[in-house]
Amino acid sequence: MVFSSHIFLFYFLPAVLLIYYLLPRGRNVFLTLVSYVFYGWWQPWFVVLMMFSTGLDYLCGGIISRPGAGSRVRRMALVAAILGDLGLLAFFKYYTFTAENLNRLASLLGGSGHGFLPVFAVALPIGISFYTFESMSYTIDVYRGIVKPARSLSDLSCFISLFPHLVAGPIVRYNIIAEQLEHREHTVEKFTEGVALFILGFAKKILLANPMGSVADAVFNANAPYALDAWVGVIAYAFQIYFDFSAYSDMAIGLARMFGFIIPKNFATPYVSESITEFWRRWHISLSTWLRDYLYIPLGGNQRSPRRTYFNLGLVMLLGGLWHGANWTFLAWGAYHGSLLATERWCGKKSLYSWLPRPGRVAVTFVLVLISWALFRSPDISHALSYLGCMFGWTAASGPAALLSSEIYTPHHLAILAICACLSFWRYEVYDFVIELNWSKALVLAPLFLLAIAAMFTQSFNPFLYFQF
Amino acid sequence: MPLSYRPWLIGFFLAVIYSLPLSQVAVEASHGEWPQALDVFRQTPTAANLRSFERDTEHASAAVAFVRPWVQSLRFELFRDPGEKTTLGSGGWLFYKPDVQYLVEPCRLDSVPENSPVRAIVRFRDQLASRSIGLLVIPMPAKPSVYPDRLAARSLPGGSLGWTHTQELLELLGRAGVETVDLRDSLVLWRGQSAGYLKRDTHWSAAAARKAAELVAARILASDPGIVGSTEYLTRPVSIDRRGDLVRMLEAPSLERTLPAEPVECDQVYAKRTGELYTDDPHSPVLVLGDSYLRMYQTDEPNAAGFIAHLARELRTSLTSIVNDGGASTLVRRQLARSPDLLAGKRLVIWEFVERDIRFGAEGWQDVPLPAVQASSPASGGKLR
Repeated sequence: MVFSSHIFLFYFLPAVLLIYYLLPRGRNVFLTLVSYVFYGWWQPWFVVLMMFSTGLDYLCGGIISRPGAGSRVRRMALVAAILGDLGLLAFFKYYTFTAENLNRLASLLGGSGHGFLPVFAVALPIGISFYTFESMSYTIDVYRGIVKPARSLSDLSCFISLFPHLVAGPIVRYNIIAEQLEHREHTVEKFTEGVALFILGFAKKILLANPMGSVADAVFNANAPYALDAWVGVIAYAFQIYFDFSAYSDMAIGLARMFGFIIPKNFATPYVSESITEFWRRWHISLSTWLRDYLYIPLGGNQRSPRRTYFNLGLVMLLGGLWHGANWTFLAWGAYHGSLLATERWCGKKSLYSWLPRPGRVAVTFVLVLISWALFRSPDISHALSYLGCMFGWTAASGPAALLSSEIYTPHHLAILAICACLSFWRYEVYDFVIELNWSKALVLAPLFLLAIAAMFTQSFNPFLYFQF
Repeated sequence: MPLSYRPWLIGFFLAVIYSLPLSQVAVEASHGEWPQALDVFRQTPTAANLRSFERDTEHASAAVAFVRPWVQSLRFELFRDPGEKTTLGSGGWLFYKPDVQYLVEPCRLDSVPENSPVRAIVRFRDQLASRSIGLLVIPMPAKPSVYPDRLAARSLPGGSLGWTHTQELLELLGRAGVETVDLRDSLVLWRGQSAGYLKRDTHWSAAAARKAAELVAARILASDPGIVGSTEYLTRPVSIDRRGDLVRMLEAPSLERTLPAEPVECDQVYAKRTGELYTDDPHSPVLVLGDSYLRMYQTDEPNAAGFIAHLARELRTSLTSIVNDGGASTLVRRQLARSPDLLAGKRLVIWEFVERDIRFGAEGWQDVPLPAVQASSPASGGKLR
């Protein structure tokens, strides 16, 4: 179920809110059950996978925290949980990719290339990367002694399946939710902030991200677009992915607040960053901090030699790229960001263009990010190279690509592009808007919500980009 | 900060999200219907059933049906945004979006052998040849191919799009020995003299249909003069007003009312001897297969003024035709396979399909076996001569 859909907004959410607030107790159990319904809406059997992952982590967490458990047993339980979680992820997300590439390699090395590993289509469970990371972080944190083990399987299930953050994050840690599962306040203030965040996220998604998505799709699907169109296409994609993903996070945080939970923000105006290092402090914060805490620091972080630091940065970003999907484009995207981060680390945590005035630094960072989005959005490496060739004028445009202008440069798209640019380069997030709500803001939110709903009624194009991850 | 705005905002939000389902239940109850939302409990919760339930709920929504036309209208009036199915060109010209997509996006003609237009066409040619029937293929240039300047902000070399997937298909078919007619350049030339395509319709004008028929007839007669018949047809001018199909795709009735219907000058074909309007003849030596381009002015208003009638007039013989809207890639051959008697006595099959079907054809380009040749079938040549 998608937040910005008819079924969610007008059936699921009203029913869940009503029953939740009527229930005198058992609200966590209720939330878990409806979260399973929410998740199973895509494919009911996916719920079984999530239950398996939850059960495994609950069991291993219990073993790790059992009084008197030896270090060997604790370590084995940790390894079992990690292997179980990563095994699920590896099979459902990476098996086909690995099999295809190994078969290709075998073929290059002189084998037949067929049957080295059987290739079959594996259905990718929505949001598996998100909930796997969440459940893994639980077991690791229990092992590290950062959190107490879950009081019950029901609590852990509620944490992992909680529908607001289930399929596209933010990636929430158990220590943030644990106490709230036990005791949380339901206040009018919190509910109002939740409503405001939800409306803002919903409007961002419907009014900004979707139109930008149709521009980006038109250009990225085109055969050899003109250079200007290719740049506009990748800028549209940059806005689409930001307003789509951050909108989902806003709605997730808003919905969580309606049910009394506080979960941290995931974005902080990333396109105002003056370096790639800063960009990663502002973009998908819950993923970058997860990678930092559970991968970069255990690898040694920056506490060893400079060379090892560069290696760690590169590896973390490479794996971060792979987390997004089983495709060479994501690996290339991760490698690209890893090398930029390593370069900035080599320059003393500054960018190579730190001598430029601030607008220049922001502009260069944005262009570097745009190049990475071209890699990220392309279906394969050859398309990515060809697209970059179009952007930089190395590839000649095809004759029919001239028709793209009618799809891109419409008054509607140009207006949305301008609004997106203003909002992206303005250091003002929806959280700032919500912090001090007042009558005038409430009177802005109301028509905005109606406008977004009306626009939703006319849109059939309504994907959420991060669901596929 | 005063407290009062909070309950107001919450109340507003809840009112919006509850009012729609409640009003929907009220509307359904007023029609004596069971609430559609409860259907979800009547079905097995499979992914397919849930998707279908979600779609049905949205389609059945009275609020969506009420609001959508207004929003579409507003989007068009304020931003010249014609919605998800159409593209707006200069001078108020509307284009069907898949026509544009077909030209702009890559299209691997041979990427999936089971769905390859080249393979399907060659196979069909061979099936017909085994019955000594020739095949002439006409990929119909869609509106953006003939009017690219109405869409492109950039100037186009020679006013043409140059090499497109259709040109590639024609070349591949030529190499495979399939007879084809490329109408694109001729239609681009003709558009200077009269309207080639309608401003707010996916299809061509009656004049373009007539000229295309003349070109195709000339091509057939040059190869097989013996095909010409003895029926003399005459034409008479008729004017009609056509409300373009692209206007309907805007899904805004208020716009449909404001955008005027286009006057179209047609030439209706009638038999000189009887004075009756042209009609098909199942026993004709020529069978025409195609899509809505052949329906235009032929079985649509004003009747007998489309491509088929004018081709018949040029060939002086009535034709047999099978027309399937949007289904000229596979469905029209399936129809033929269900009525194989129509092939009896045929010398030539003309197969028209709009060029976007090369990529987007309904049900792709499947192989459609024709029933076995009957001994009584006449043998009059396997090639367009």
